[in-house]
Amino acid sequence: MIFSKYINLLLLLTLSLASCHRAMHPAKLAYHDYKIDAAAPRDSAMMRMLLPYRDSVDKSMNEVLGIAAATLEKKQPSGSLGNFMADAVLDMAAKQFKMPVDFAIINYGGIRSLQLAKGEVTRGKVFELMPFDNLLVLQKLSGDQVQQLFDYLAARGGWPIAGASFVIKNKQATDVLVGGKPLDKNKTYTLANSDYVANGGDDASFLKPIPQINSGYLIRDALLTYIRNLQQQGKPIAEITENRIRNAE
Amino acid sequence: MQNRRTFIRQSALAAGSLLLGAQAGAAELLVDARSRQLTILHTNDTHSRIDPFPMDGSRNEGQGGVAARAAMINQIRSEAEHVLLLDAGDIFQGTPYFNIYKGEPEVKAMARMGYDACTIGNHDFDGGVDNLALQMKQHGGFSTIVSNYDFAGTAMESVAVPYRIIKKGGLKVGILGVGIELDGLVPANLYGTTRYLDPIQKANEVAGILHAKGCDLVICLSHLGYKYAGNKVSDQQLARETENINLIISGHTHTFLDKPDVLQNKKGQDVVVNQVGWAGLQLGRLDYDFNRQKGQRLISANPLTVTKKTHE
Repeated sequence: MIFSKYINLLLLLTLSLASCHRAMHPAKLAYHDYKIDAAAPRDSAMMRMLLPYRDSVDKSMNEVLGIAAATLEKKQPSGSLGNFMADAVLDMAAKQFKMPVDFAIINYGGIRSLQLAKGEVTRGKVFELMPFDNLLVLQKLSGDQVQQLFDYLAARGGWPIAGASFVIKNKQATDVLVGGKPLDKNKTYTLANSDYVANGGDDASFLKPIPQINSGYLIRDALLTYIRNLQQQGKPIAEITENRIRNAE
Repeated sequence: MQNRRTFIRQSALAAGSLLLGAQAGAAELLVDARSRQLTILHTNDTHSRIDPFPMDGSRNEGQGGVAARAAMINQIRSEAEHVLLLDAGDIFQGTPYFNIYKGEPEVKAMARMGYDACTIGNHDFDGGVDNLALQMKQHGGFSTIVSNYDFAGTAMESVAVPYRIIKKGGLKVGILGVGIELDGLVPANLYGTTRYLDPIQKANEVAGILHAKGCDLVICLSHLGYKYAGNKVSDQQLARETENINLIISGHTHTFLDKPDVLQNKKGQDVVVNQVGWAGLQLGRLDYDFNRQKGQRLISANPLTVTKKTHE
């Protein structure tokens, strides 16, 4: 081992003699990790440059849509933020498409905030939660396809879900319930999905051949309307901690 | 902030304390008088985080923001002579700024901070490949470096370069870039006819070119991701299965590292890998000292010193 290193060194020396370039070599390295905290000074020229952008973003994004009763957290296999979003998508899908929808899933990686803070929920917060222009689509799945989908979710550590539940065992879905009932292999189920996942995003290529019902309705618009609806009913966004997907003991 | 001299002295002390006295003495003697310094500042996955996180009681409230980053960079530039400022991709997407302006303020802010180069992240395609090209062309002015995307026939063809050599403080620094597999991650209508090529193979090929052109340091900006549980290609493989790369500025996985990783490449030489989380919450700073001494392994000869800083 040591011997072979010397050989390499010799080789390197020979090669370097053959070349006329006298290269420099990294000899020492120090690392500084700068945290940019709330008290850090700000560059005023940069602030001025950004001002017109900020003003118009604030104008459209500071509208308060509703109130979060507690801070919701993004978590796997289940968490309060994912539960809220999946509930919203399930509810709004049925309203938008005017048909019964059995369950909804949310792509875990597509949730772009780690938390939804307690208190006022602005339009801007919802944009940060779901910045993508992903569309809400419906797909009709056989019982076997539902099992395949849930195994896929299980292998990925659990994604937000509404209208269904299961247990992750050896990276597979067991004890599957849809609408509170065990999975029926002979039934057709309606899934509310994002077009991103339905088109095979996040390596969900098995969903790609399944036709989509699509009305060009943005998932973000579904969330915005759901929160406004709650507010009109005088309800806050509740913290639902139910473990819809859990890991086997 | 400590000045450069005390910083170097402290680094030397820290290095010396971890070595046997005799070896440290020998190392000091061997330092070439014509040594060079280079400071590398880096970010990744800033995700349209123009403003600091809102003061709403959430985890990162008040942190980050480009105005604070700009002030910090200005401060460092006033102390260190030779600075390179780099980004490992995913500049776009994550706040309403992107939904409304499609990347314009993000790229403008980077140009103003004096970024030298970036690579492309998967989310940089979120406004489509044409939009990416438009923003970089109209507002950038820094290099967009990616070695393993074939942009032939797309609007990015005239924008992206496979590598760039920057001369800084008497040093020749070669920079290449690698992007993640797009199929199954980015909707096909957004990346268009962009072709993804094997990142390890391309990185090796381009790093070889940069080495042959006499670069003193070869940096790879990578949006492959720091590490995965499975065998998905990551910066771990990139470091181990290539040669001629000294430093990998990592992105995609939003990984906060306590200190840079030091891995060994195919030839047993050191490869430093670092990533600073996401959202512009941190700025990484690597201070390199160069000399003409050949063949030593950087980190084993002089252990990496690590300091945590906020602001002044």
